[in-house]
Amino acid sequence: MNQQDNNTASSYSRYFKEVGVLFCLATLFILPLNYIYAQQETPASNTVLKGIYEHINSYLKLREQSVKNLSKPSGKSEPEKIHAYETALEDNLRTARVNASRGEIFTPEVANHIRKVIRQEFKGQRLQELRKEVSESETKGMPLRVNYPYPEQKEMLEMPPTLLLKLPALPQQLRYRFVGSNLLLMDREARIILDYMPEALP
Amino acid sequence: MRRILAGLIVISLLSLNCDRNHVYSQTKAATQEALQIVLPNKKESVHFAVFGDMGTGELPQKQLADLMWQTRQVFPFDAVLMTGDNLYGSESPRDYERKFSQPYQQLLAAGVKFYASLGNHDNSNQRFFKDFNMKGKEYYTFKKGNVRFFALNSNYMDQPQLSWLEEELKKSGSEWKICFFHHPPYSSGKQHGSDKELRKVVEPLFLKYGVSVVFTGHEHFYERIKPQQGISYFVTGAGGKLRPGDVRPSNFTEKAFDQDQHFMLIEVIEDQLHFQVIARTGKTIDSGIITRQEIKGP
Repeated sequence: MNQQDNNTASSYSRYFKEVGVLFCLATLFILPLNYIYAQQETPASNTVLKGIYEHINSYLKLREQSVKNLSKPSGKSEPEKIHAYETALEDNLRTARVNASRGEIFTPEVANHIRKVIRQEFKGQRLQELRKEVSESETKGMPLRVNYPYPEQKEMLEMPPTLLLKLPALPQQLRYRFVGSNLLLMDREARIILDYMPEALP
Repeated sequence: MRRILAGLIVISLLSLNCDRNHVYSQTKAATQEALQIVLPNKKESVHFAVFGDMGTGELPQKQLADLMWQTRQVFPFDAVLMTGDNLYGSESPRDYERKFSQPYQQLLAAGVKFYASLGNHDNSNQRFFKDFNMKGKEYYTFKKGNVRFFALNSNYMDQPQLSWLEEELKKSGSEWKICFFHHPPYSSGKQHGSDKELRKVVEPLFLKYGVSVVFTGHEHFYERIKPQQGISYFVTGAGGKLRPGDVRPSNFTEKAFDQDQHFMLIEVIEDQLHFQVIARTGKTIDSGIITRQEIKGP
């Protein structure tokens, strides 16, 4: 083998090494990206989300009607005014939604989607910790009824921020809450339960 | 016979009440004796107090409020940060009176401003209450001297709040940045412990934008955490509630106290923050100095 052949062999070997490194890098970066994209919305989940937002938008329209004749407190209100507003809003909304029932917003499709999101977000130790926190909270024995207020004496458990970033985003008037393994959808100001889904926590 | 019995009952009740008043005034005198301010107490510095989990409407809350009032005669603070659980249980106008306005009436009358954050026992509508100074918002910011405060709602740390926090921290320049909210990212409490989920989303922002001090509540005791990546975290959640024996000191505990209600006094002088923690007996249970955190930068 002459000098030229040696040079050609070493340049081939360098070429294969570089290709190898590039391949490894591509594997390292592209595979996780594929995984991330797989976690994001698919056409099927988009349809589900469209469904939940249609229900939420109808609720917001109803809420707008219920709130329009009320005197909303400002940041400088007395407790009497705050209490009057909360009570009147609760009454108006409950009257307007007198026939509301469970599963109207958290339809079976939406509930399945949310369960999937929670299962993906909370696994192993984190899931155990969340379960423990939920089970030890002061919400034990709380009756869950759609269109009824959340009991004043019961605490409202903090929602895990990392989960809030994954669940369908809500307008500021609405909130998610855990009670036991149930996930509630609530009106922030009227404090009424708009809907709830059982077995949200695996 | 009935009249005699009734008379005896009234006499014993009266003597019991006298006894209680006597004990209370004795305790008050002992408290005043124990109370010593160890802060520099300079006229031109920023003075404020911090406490949390206070809204019970019960005697210990009232006693601590009286002590805060006495303290203010020597250390004139004009603001109080509240780390949440401002009103336990029902929240009727009478509850606002009994659990807040009445216990702190002297401080309120003297013009002291209370700045509330929301705990897991608080109704979001508290944000409208004039004496909580929340401007109708669940999270807000305000400035005193060279200190920028950020009140957060740790019950519901969603994307809009996180974006708001980042934007406000970014805008606030190089002054002191102090955050206060309910759930502690670090805690050695048996009941709750560290809120790691919350820590995951807020701590990167605190580090990026140079937050130096964080006050939280939720746990009904006092704990000073060893600085975490330069940030000083405090748990101060015994302004009314108390959970004796709940601290299980961990490797990040610098100082802990769970035997009595307490509040904190803070004084900021240029690049130094002085703190003193006072128990219901008037005794100082912790004190120290924190130097301002430099911005790590994005």
